[in-house]
Amino acid sequence: MMRILIIEDEARIAKRIERMTRNHFEQNIAAIAICDSLQKGLVYIANHPIDILLLDLNLNGENGFDILESMVAGSFHTIIVSAYTDKAIDAFTYGVLDFVPKPFDQARLSMAFRRITNSGKTTESTMKYLAVKKAGITRLIAIKDVLYIKGAGIYSELYLQDGKQELHDKSMEMLEQLLPGSFERIHKSYLISLDQAEKIIIRPGSSYSLLLKNGEILPIGRSRYKELKRKMI
Amino acid sequence: MQRLLIIFTVLLLLSSCKSTVVYEEYPTVYQTGDNKNWAEKNFNAAQWTTERGNTAKGIFWSRSPVKLIRSSAVPMGLHIEAFGAFEVYWDGILLGHNGQITQKDKPEVAGYTTSYFQIPDSLAHMGTHILALRTSQSYLNGVKRPVGIELNQYPALLRNPLIITSFMNLMAGAFLIAAVYYFFLYLNSRRKEYSILIFAVICSLFFSLLIAEYIKFYIAIPYTHFFIRLEIIGWLTFAIAILVPLYFSIQFHFNRKKILLITLFMILISVYLVNYDHFDLTAIVYSRVMWFTAVIIVLNAIVQKEKGGFIVLMGLLASAIVNHFLLYDFGLFISFTLIILCMLYLHALRARIIEDEFQSSLLLSSRLQLELIKKNIQPHFLRNTLTSLMDWVEESPKQGAEFIQALAGEFDIMNYIAEAVLIPIRQEIELCKTHLKVMHFRKEICYEWEESGIDEAEYLPPALIHTLLENGITHSIPIANSLITFKLTYLRTAVYKQYTFETHALNREVSKKRNGGNGFRYIQARLTESYGDRWKFISAAIPGGWLTTIQIYDK
Repeated sequence: MMRILIIEDEARIAKRIERMTRNHFEQNIAAIAICDSLQKGLVYIANHPIDILLLDLNLNGENGFDILESMVAGSFHTIIVSAYTDKAIDAFTYGVLDFVPKPFDQARLSMAFRRITNSGKTTESTMKYLAVKKAGITRLIAIKDVLYIKGAGIYSELYLQDGKQELHDKSMEMLEQLLPGSFERIHKSYLISLDQAEKIIIRPGSSYSLLLKNGEILPIGRSRYKELKRKMI
Repeated sequence: MQRLLIIFTVLLLLSSCKSTVVYEEYPTVYQTGDNKNWAEKNFNAAQWTTERGNTAKGIFWSRSPVKLIRSSAVPMGLHIEAFGAFEVYWDGILLGHNGQITQKDKPEVAGYTTSYFQIPDSLAHMGTHILALRTSQSYLNGVKRPVGIELNQYPALLRNPLIITSFMNLMAGAFLIAAVYYFFLYLNSRRKEYSILIFAVICSLFFSLLIAEYIKFYIAIPYTHFFIRLEIIGWLTFAIAILVPLYFSIQFHFNRKKILLITLFMILISVYLVNYDHFDLTAIVYSRVMWFTAVIIVLNAIVQKEKGGFIVLMGLLASAIVNHFLLYDFGLFISFTLIILCMLYLHALRARIIEDEFQSSLLLSSRLQLELIKKNIQPHFLRNTLTSLMDWVEESPKQGAEFIQALAGEFDIMNYIAEAVLIPIRQEIELCKTHLKVMHFRKEICYEWEESGIDEAEYLPPALIHTLLENGITHSIPIANSLITFKLTYLRTAVYKQYTFETHALNREVSKKRNGGNGFRYIQARLTESYGDRWKFISAAIPGGWLTTIQIYDK
């Protein structure tokens, strides 16, 4: 069941998005809300858990890009619906799920929604940063600094090159949808950057593990061994 | 120009050195009293003194021995610079008189300060001659001006001043033209630049100075009025000595203008007081003080890296050199001319800057045109409109068609006004109204347009109100019943025209402080383009909405 927030200042367009969203998800919508300003949207997010945010980048003359960082740090997927198509590339580097340029139709919006339901990666991701919210402050972490990600229920733990750890509000499954192809799921709880993998260690009893360049060893899921081996060669 | 000046200088020197008559002067001696024999060549004046003494209003004699070393075949002439009324005797022979000496029952008729006499050929042989003057000086009796004598060929005596005057008048004419030109330039230029006015004044003062200096050659001045001219020259020099540094300080952006000018003024005043009655000296000191002040300003300009500073310094040095090597009379004027040439050069630099500014204003105008055209094709407007349009066409085609009509209407007007600098106010209002129609379809908010006092004959830069309207739509939340009202009011007063534009709605909260953004910059640039600095633009929140006031001043 999807909980959806639409932040859009043009009534007609907001209604269009809402209608098309309902068409797409049909019965699978738990809640759908429309806010016509960023402020209202932020208040709504603070008080209601959501799964999908549909965000316009220019609202009442304010640049929605400024708050994009804090939005993508949230536990929900963000889809940009905007007239500023030239901002699309930037938006993707921050880890939005999709950028739907205006004017749009049902097919284009549905394509964006399908990315949520399709697990795993759909297209080549250009994401460069992971936005992490900590004590209300959003910080950008460069993806190249991430060693691996460990799933922790609805959260994920980011293990960084410098030895630090960060908690991300998105689940590991959601991050997997966003992250570039260099990240590989090696275990039900581990998503690693292939650049960091040193070699696969095989232990007696078909137990596989992965040695990272920094010496850490992570388990490899039995079912994922073959795929990983193929990619590492 | 420099070369021309050198030729000019040489000519002047030649004209004053051409004399073929060579003579030696001996000190003039004086005696109070009256005796016809005192005119005689052979009279022994050993008892006479070189001091005139107190002659009161009475008659006194002076004898000036002159030794002719070389004379010429051309008739000789005598040029006398002296005060009083006098009879002129050359070797005892009366050559003529200047004014009328005091007689028993008749008061003196003042003579001219400058007088010329022809010497008969028979008395122009080589050897010593005696020039005796029988003089009375009833007026300005305290002034003991020495008798000035010049011997030359008679035609040369009359011609030389004409040559000098012709050159000086040439120069004066140039300054007169410059003065008139810069006055007109100042009066007709929209931006009243004081430096232009000052330059015009300096040129006219300098013209007057040249005329005042050389007027002596074509107007005979009675000795009683001799000092008036000098006084005028003194004050003209004084004014120039103040204005030239002022001009430089403005052109070179000198920081402590006031201090400098007050100091300069004090120095000049004290020079005047200290050298009271020493007219020539005062003028020389004035010009030196002026020169030094100008040098200070120019050096400062060079330090500040002002354009043209170095060239002006060169000009000042050249003027100092000229002044040093030439006789005061010419030197002063030629050095002044050099300085004014420097100023003219600065002016040319300035004109270049203004030209550049004009170019960039043209550029600005075309940028503003582009800005206007962009309004309707910028992605935010176009793509959002198209999205709504899509929705209307899909959901209710009839209204969709209306929407398309409205949009076409707005495009039409925009297209029509795109290249205009000013458009009729009615056209602007029509533009706003079609925009509201378009926005109504997009936002599904009711927009109301009100106007009052509109003068249909008035013009405004295009899309000013439209821009305000856009801002109003973007930053407002409808009050009740989904309604936002806009009101345009026109007011004409004796001093200005005023447009007020009100938005009646709730203002959206802004997360960041706005200082106008592109819209306001567009409006301000358009106002500047059409009205220079004769406008005022205020835009601020008021209870119940937003209020923008545009005032356009008549002057």
